[in-house]
Amino acid sequence: MTIEGADIVKAAAFIGAGIAMGFGAIGPGVGEGMAAAKACEAIGKNPKEAGLLTRTMLVGQAVAESTGIYSLVIALLLLFVV
Amino acid sequence: MEFEPQVIIKIAAYVGGGLCMGIGAVGAAIGEGYTAALANEAVSRNKDLSGDIFKSMLVGQAIAESASIFALVIAILLLFMDIPVPSLLKASALLGAGISMGFGAMGSGVGSGFPGGQACKGISRQPKMTGRLTTNMLIGSAVCQTPAIFALVVALILMFIDFGNVPLNPTWAALLGAGISMGLSAIGSGYGGGMAGGASCEGIARNPETVSSVTTIMLVGQAVTQTPCIFGLLVSFILMFKAFPETTALSPSMALLGAGISMGFGGLGPGIGNGMAAEGAVRWVARNVKHQSELMRTMLVGQAVSQSTAIYAMVISLVLIFVV
Amino acid sequence: MKEMGKLHQLVIHVMGYDIAFNLEVIIMTWMVMAVLIFFGFAASKKRALLPEPVQALGELFVSLLYQLTVDALDEEMAKTYGPLTIALFMFLLLSNWFGIIPHLDEPTKDLNTPLSLGIMGFFIAHYAGIKAKGLGAYLKEYCTPIFFMAPLNVIGELAKVVSISFRLFGNIMGGAIIILVVSYLTYSIFLPPFLYFFFGFFVGTIQAFVFTMLTIVYISVQVK
Repeated sequence: MTIEGADIVKAAAFIGAGIAMGFGAIGPGVGEGMAAAKACEAIGKNPKEAGLLTRTMLVGQAVAESTGIYSLVIALLLLFVV
Repeated sequence: MEFEPQVIIKIAAYVGGGLCMGIGAVGAAIGEGYTAALANEAVSRNKDLSGDIFKSMLVGQAIAESASIFALVIAILLLFMDIPVPSLLKASALLGAGISMGFGAMGSGVGSGFPGGQACKGISRQPKMTGRLTTNMLIGSAVCQTPAIFALVVALILMFIDFGNVPLNPTWAALLGAGISMGLSAIGSGYGGGMAGGASCEGIARNPETVSSVTTIMLVGQAVTQTPCIFGLLVSFILMFKAFPETTALSPSMALLGAGISMGFGGLGPGIGNGMAAEGAVRWVARNVKHQSELMRTMLVGQAVSQSTAIYAMVISLVLIFVV
Repeated sequence: MKEMGKLHQLVIHVMGYDIAFNLEVIIMTWMVMAVLIFFGFAASKKRALLPEPVQALGELFVSLLYQLTVDALDEEMAKTYGPLTIALFMFLLLSNWFGIIPHLDEPTKDLNTPLSLGIMGFFIAHYAGIKAKGLGAYLKEYCTPIFFMAPLNVIGELAKVVSISFRLFGNIMGGAIIILVVSYLTYSIFLPPFLYFFFGFFVGTIQAFVFTMLTIVYISVQVK
């Protein structure tokens, strides 16, 4: 098996993309789950505000997800641009 | 230094078996310890019920144990299996099988400890509900074994299916990646499913009238929590059964390995997060059963959003497999 | 298990492009639509104060899902988007249940179906957002917190389409694969009926509901 420079760079980019997206997905997944759990708790305590609480949860999750989106962007850059 | 295929396949089988049993034992041990700890707490609270609590603890632990028994079975098979045609490809498949089952048993082992422990605690609080609590514990921990069973299926396929005359170079990475994808993504879903099950036992003990609502929400929550590991299973099946063209370059193999890593780790976090959301919803249904539908809706939307990172990971894996 | 990836495709060459149609999926989709249209006629043919079973079932769907839309949006907008919610849910529910019948396949098992529904939801949500807030305020939202975050916000919006459609596709496809593999390993004895029940009815219902809910939620996020 002959390994050339360009090939090794590509291989590194592919595995890097996998690592970026894989590890990058852990944090947002757990964090958004926490937000959802707390939203359920809040609705249980104060069901009248269910609409407001759900919207707050969604906004919070959208912000928490931005790091996941950054990982996605980096992974796509590694795959198609670098 | 040149090794013969026979030697390499033995190395792979032994390393795979060791990984499988070593990592597979972590989860069940923690889960059973948790069950025993809560059982002790329960006995100290209500000494007269020690018989019931003891029985419930043993049943709960037996279920939590089953994940690591799967790992034991795979490890023993790996050690003593007879391989008719030793090849480098089979060596990588055996290593993948060990990784899949080892990591796959971890989450389910820890997870099924939660319902067991909370059921023991619940019995001391509501002795009349012993029967319902035990049933609920059994359902909850059985569902949270599902990821471990998926991992077992993938491990068995990797070990016993003859992949035939496929090119060695990218396929070895695909088989290893299949194991990583399934094994790691099963951790999160197993752990998360257990959290939901534990909360349901706690909720029934707190408010026995809500049994049916609590069980329903638990099952719905657990079913959604399985999603990341179903994605892991999907990616690992594509990796195992897609035919890849032969290359001499390194990058296609690394792309397939990267696909496995991406989906495996990517399924881990969302699985745990989904479990947390389900736990919150189940716990508060028991306290406020009138607003069951609002809680279920919020839980489903919250879980769906927290799954999206697992879906990005799946998309990156699919791009790595099919596009580049 | 070899025939898993095979598809019956109809390929048409138009102006140098190959346009492929997955025939089975199209047939299954039309069958689902035919059942739904028939159900719609049957449920609304004889409108009685004391409803017959078919009408009662139709009313159940409509009232529950309409209430859901009202909760997520508001009374005024629910009139516009209620029919969308109801139709979407009933179509997805029947599609996900379709594979239980032997020789039929779920249309949602092909990525094209969920993806096109997701893209439809995306355009509806953004149209609703522009209509409710005006184009200026709509565009300004992409420049939060700072203007150069705009590309990331756009990717975030596009990622929603990907996540909503791949979620449905992954669940249905994953369920089908699990059923196939377990049937193969156990020679179709004992276990597969339970799996069909779990993955077909249970997961299918939940995922249809999740898809519908998320479509309304995306609209409500854009509007408010």
